[in-house]
Amino acid sequence: MIIAQQKQIKEIAAMVSDCKKVALIGCAGCVTVCLSGGEKETEIMAAALRIMRKLEGNPVETITFTATRQCDPEYVEALDGVVKDADAIISLACGVGVQYLAERFDKWVVPALDTNFIGGSKVHGVWEEKCGMCGDCVLHKTGGICPIIRCSKSILNGPCGGSQYGKCEISKDVDCAWQLIYDRMKSLGKLDKLMAIQPPKDWTKSRDGGPRRAVREDVMIG
Amino acid sequence: MVGAGIAGIQASLDLAESGYYVYLVESTTAIGGTMPMLDKTFPTNDCSMCILSPKLVECGRHLNIKILTSSDVQEVAGEPGNFNVKIRQRPRFVDANKCTGCGSCSEECPIKVDDEFNQDLGKRKAIYKLYAQAYPNAYAIDKAKCLRIKNPKACGKCLKACQADAINFEMAEETIDLNVGAIVLSPGFEKFDASALFYYGYGKFPNVLTSLEFERVLSASGPFQGHMVRPYDGKEPKKIAWIQCVGSRNTKEKHGYCSSVCCMYAIKEAVIAKEHSHEPLETTIFFMDMRTFGKGFEKYYDRARDEKGVRFVRSRIYEVTEKNDESKNLIIRYSNEDGTISTEEFDMVVLSVGLQPSKSVMELGEKLGLDMNQYGFADTQKLTGVNSSKPGIYVSGAFCGPKDIPETVMQASAAAGASASLLAESRGTKVTEKEYPAEKDVSGQDPRIGVFVCHCGVNIGSVVNVPGVVEMAKGLPNVVYSGEYLYVCSQDSQNTMRQIVEENGLNRVVVASCSPRTHKPLFQETMMEAGVNRYLFEMANIRDQCSWVHQNEPDKATEKAKDLVKMMVAKSALLSPIHQPSVDVTKAAMIIGGGVSGMNSALSLADQGYKVYLVEKADSLGGIARRIKQGFRGEDVQEYLAELIDKVKANSLIELFTGTEVQDVKGFVGNFKSTLSNGAQIQHGVVIIAIGGEEYLPTEYLYGKNNRVMTQLEMEEAMTAGDSRFDQAKNIVMIQCVGSREPERGYCSRVCCTKSIKLAIKAKDKNPDANVFILYRDIRSYGFFEDMYTEARRKGVIFIRYSVEQKPLVEEAGGKLMITVTDHVLGQPVVIEADILGLAAAKLASRDNKKMNSLFKVPLNEDGFFLEAHMKLRPVDFASEGIFMAGLAHGPKNLEENISQAKAAAGRAGVILSKSKLESHGVTAVVQPDKCAACLTCVRLCPYGAPKVRNYAAEIESVLCQGCGSCAGECPNKAITLQGYNDRMYMSMVNGLCKEVL
Amino acid sequence: MRLQYATNIRIVEMTCSGNIDHRVILNAFEEGADGVFVAGCMEGDCHFLKGNIRARKRVNAVKKLLDEIGIGGDRLEMYNLSSAQGGRFAEIANDITAKIKDLGPNPLFKNSSCCGCSCSKEGGDQ
Repeated sequence: MIIAQQKQIKEIAAMVSDCKKVALIGCAGCVTVCLSGGEKETEIMAAALRIMRKLEGNPVETITFTATRQCDPEYVEALDGVVKDADAIISLACGVGVQYLAERFDKWVVPALDTNFIGGSKVHGVWEEKCGMCGDCVLHKTGGICPIIRCSKSILNGPCGGSQYGKCEISKDVDCAWQLIYDRMKSLGKLDKLMAIQPPKDWTKSRDGGPRRAVREDVMIG
Repeated sequence: MVGAGIAGIQASLDLAESGYYVYLVESTTAIGGTMPMLDKTFPTNDCSMCILSPKLVECGRHLNIKILTSSDVQEVAGEPGNFNVKIRQRPRFVDANKCTGCGSCSEECPIKVDDEFNQDLGKRKAIYKLYAQAYPNAYAIDKAKCLRIKNPKACGKCLKACQADAINFEMAEETIDLNVGAIVLSPGFEKFDASALFYYGYGKFPNVLTSLEFERVLSASGPFQGHMVRPYDGKEPKKIAWIQCVGSRNTKEKHGYCSSVCCMYAIKEAVIAKEHSHEPLETTIFFMDMRTFGKGFEKYYDRARDEKGVRFVRSRIYEVTEKNDESKNLIIRYSNEDGTISTEEFDMVVLSVGLQPSKSVMELGEKLGLDMNQYGFADTQKLTGVNSSKPGIYVSGAFCGPKDIPETVMQASAAAGASASLLAESRGTKVTEKEYPAEKDVSGQDPRIGVFVCHCGVNIGSVVNVPGVVEMAKGLPNVVYSGEYLYVCSQDSQNTMRQIVEENGLNRVVVASCSPRTHKPLFQETMMEAGVNRYLFEMANIRDQCSWVHQNEPDKATEKAKDLVKMMVAKSALLSPIHQPSVDVTKAAMIIGGGVSGMNSALSLADQGYKVYLVEKADSLGGIARRIKQGFRGEDVQEYLAELIDKVKANSLIELFTGTEVQDVKGFVGNFKSTLSNGAQIQHGVVIIAIGGEEYLPTEYLYGKNNRVMTQLEMEEAMTAGDSRFDQAKNIVMIQCVGSREPERGYCSRVCCTKSIKLAIKAKDKNPDANVFILYRDIRSYGFFEDMYTEARRKGVIFIRYSVEQKPLVEEAGGKLMITVTDHVLGQPVVIEADILGLAAAKLASRDNKKMNSLFKVPLNEDGFFLEAHMKLRPVDFASEGIFMAGLAHGPKNLEENISQAKAAAGRAGVILSKSKLESHGVTAVVQPDKCAACLTCVRLCPYGAPKVRNYAAEIESVLCQGCGSCAGECPNKAITLQGYNDRMYMSMVNGLCKEVL
Repeated sequence: MRLQYATNIRIVEMTCSGNIDHRVILNAFEEGADGVFVAGCMEGDCHFLKGNIRARKRVNAVKKLLDEIGIGGDRLEMYNLSSAQGGRFAEIANDITAKIKDLGPNPLFKNSSCCGCSCSKEGGDQ
């Protein structure tokens, strides 16, 4: 899922300081699961904003609603009535949601979250980055451990010289992905597979090729 | 059930919930026993009253428990299944049914007497309630102290004060005849009278207190409101000493036994005293052996010593004298371990008094013709845990020996289980169930709220302007009725309430009166009688929160009372009926583990009439007991085991799976479906996990390297097999605490001291010429096992204490086994050439505990033993309902204790199996699935395992949900709400409070 | 015990302090409470095992937020006490009242204090 975290309330408030009626739109997708943008957080943020603004002598009215997802046009269209009277929209979704809202509504749309990475939860309350979205998965070659995102240098043919005692040179708290890959392949008895030299990666499938699009003709309707 | 302490209450609840009618006979005026007197309980420092209070209410209100207070057993005749019991009930002079517990009488009563509940440290009146939370919530008159009883023309102030007309001086003694099938005796204990030991100065010096007196000093509800002061001068002590074994381990006083609980309670008192003290408090415990043998106790001791700074002095006390000045401080003269003599000054001395049977308790035993031991405690039949010498009469609690709360509760549940087995055929025949009219459908109706405001005699009305509150309520939204009552809880008011609900078509009721803790269930019952769902009821506590605590500010108290009513009216408008879903119960049990515990559980449940699947991993039954030859009371364990196995095999209700393991478990309480390794699928309503434990294989003291070195169990096996080395040995040595009480295994293995002593006596009997040494850290022969310790010393077994810093050294030299230990008295190393070295190796949790942990999601403690739902009051239950534990898997215990626990687990499991349907707790969390993001927050945080994600959304199993609402608080999309307590209600309450009423 | 304490506390009963939501606390301030205290069982002594631990974490988070938005986190406190500690409850009630009086009325209602009360969430009868 997409992992996002809330911006400071002051930063968000500053974005809508001249607005009198603000719609805060949560998202019941990834950001609910990573506890940053569900109904609970949306309503907390609305209350916090109201309190702040009232204290500033510049009261604000809030509308809250949590969309099923903010990354599909139908769900965004369903917000028409909700945001009708608002002069600004705060999106508690990832950057995708913010943009969908901005596209749909001719209003001032601002992000409440910083979209961090895609990953999963380690334990409740701790999330880890697991995928670099390179568009050309190599996990079958590396024992299910992604060298693109989990190796600080994204290198593909074994560790660099900075790998020490299983840790990455950037921090003692970061595992060397290639140590993990090695250990894993060893335990699977597949070390020989690591001997194959990986050719330079085609980064055009990643961000190097500009904004990406995925198309599936067979499911397209109409 | 005779005796309504925690044992009597637990056994009563277990049996009443299993379909039996219970008479609970208590000699004082209220149930509760000793527990309400205690401040905190070890080793969790739980508040004693807080954990007991819900049980008091449950027991007190149970339809199938008849409580007879001020009552004693006079005669018992008959046989198992058919006893005739004659009870003498002394007059209370207050009709408990009419008394509302308001206390107006007591305020008027002119007579102050010493309050025995407070150990005479405070005063109560001649008309009194034993303690604030007492059940029955009714006053009683102390016949010996009341002026009016002495002279019918005198006083009578209480009569005038009581507006409920509850006081009746005409009451007379009554005889009640009961016909019952089984009898459980749990009349408890009394404390040793410390004034019998003149050298401690108790009774002579005002700053020498008993431990129970000190509990009352610490207690928030005690005579000093929890301010830790000397009763003598009200000053906070800065230096307190505890003296252990006062009236215990004292053969001169014919109290040769160890009272088992004093070491722990003294440590607890020292720790709590430090917490209470405003300035640094010095605490010293003078002891002989520190006996922290129970689950979690050793770590409590370690923490007290290492982190809390409690000082422990191994010593013998000569005497306590008083300092010759105004301070009335005390001087303790004592000898240290090395024989040197010290004196030290303290400003308070607490005597850790032992437990003994009271005279009346001993008489009861005699009256019933039970076998009693030399100290006057009831003797249990060997390896039964709970059987007295008379069939059909079971015993539990301190009546049969000093014991702590969890063991008492365990034994009580075991006695309940044994009674249920005996009376299996009559289950469900004597109990009644209350019938209510059909519930009215209020869905779609606008709220119609009735407000009933109570004067509580003068308790509320004398401070709060009740008519003012009633008037204000009339102006609140949705309120269609508002009225005032002298006592809303009286029978006639309840009838009126029912009528008003019906006449006005009320669909919500708010009562503004006293505490929901004592009165909510009563009012809810009236709601049901009026055909309204009981969750459409709310209470505002304008007594405890207004009139009582703002007595001198009537206007503000009234304002607050109005606010509380506003809040409750605002909340009640949002209430919805709660319907408690129920699930069917598969009337069968799966028991994992075919050792002594598992087999006892199996037999007990089968005797109760339930199908049992007994799953044992090994190819044969018996578990670790197969290696034990003799029990602590001389029992032939192999003979016992053979009989037990025969019984299990012969029982047609027990289906046996040996060489089999549990592979998968699905479902929840009442409805488990398990798959076994042989492919069998079984359905069952409950699970008992009794997978035993193992003996540690030492890496220390040349174990495994020298064939003279053996573990305790190996030593017993060798002796029984007639190993000739024992007959020829000159020196037999045993080392205690091998692998226990160590950093990596910070618990005491409990049974090893007694076992070593037992083996030492046996070795000595066999070969009197041999020197038998026991090298120990503390001898922990708790309870009556102390007699065995005394016997061993008389027979010449030599006990040498070693310290953990200076452990014995075991070496091989020239084919000889040489042991060097520093003698604790001489301070010199002693070298022993040992022919046999026995190691008291630690008792370990089974490695399979981890497997059970993942299979059933049941928690383990840090030592790998199972963690019970509550250390004190739910000693065999897991937090997840329907799963129970027994035996070594729970913690080290001796055979007898394991049997008792196994029967307790069966008793508890039987409570569930006795029901045809299980109802959920009323207030449970519910999921709105379309809002659920399946984020797992609830699944991860629920300690009861109630939520699961199914079909892409969370589902909360209402039967497992306990209603805390933590999940609702945390749910990121607010898909979960707690019924009757949701955020909208809280917000509406605050809104209602802050809104001006027109 | 009938210990006297400050009269300006109103109790909102919860089944367990673990049920408290950030929003409910913020709402109390928006409605006019000058202070909020959350009373839970003693740590390690939660009737529902861990609810009070969860409550404390949430309360701490809201305290931080209150600081950020100008209400002030010190208007919110969590206390752990047992139902047998009537004396402690009275002490806390008086302490928090004194503290809130020092802090002055809820800044949101500086001019027209709505009810001048502090609210305590979750509490039994003392």
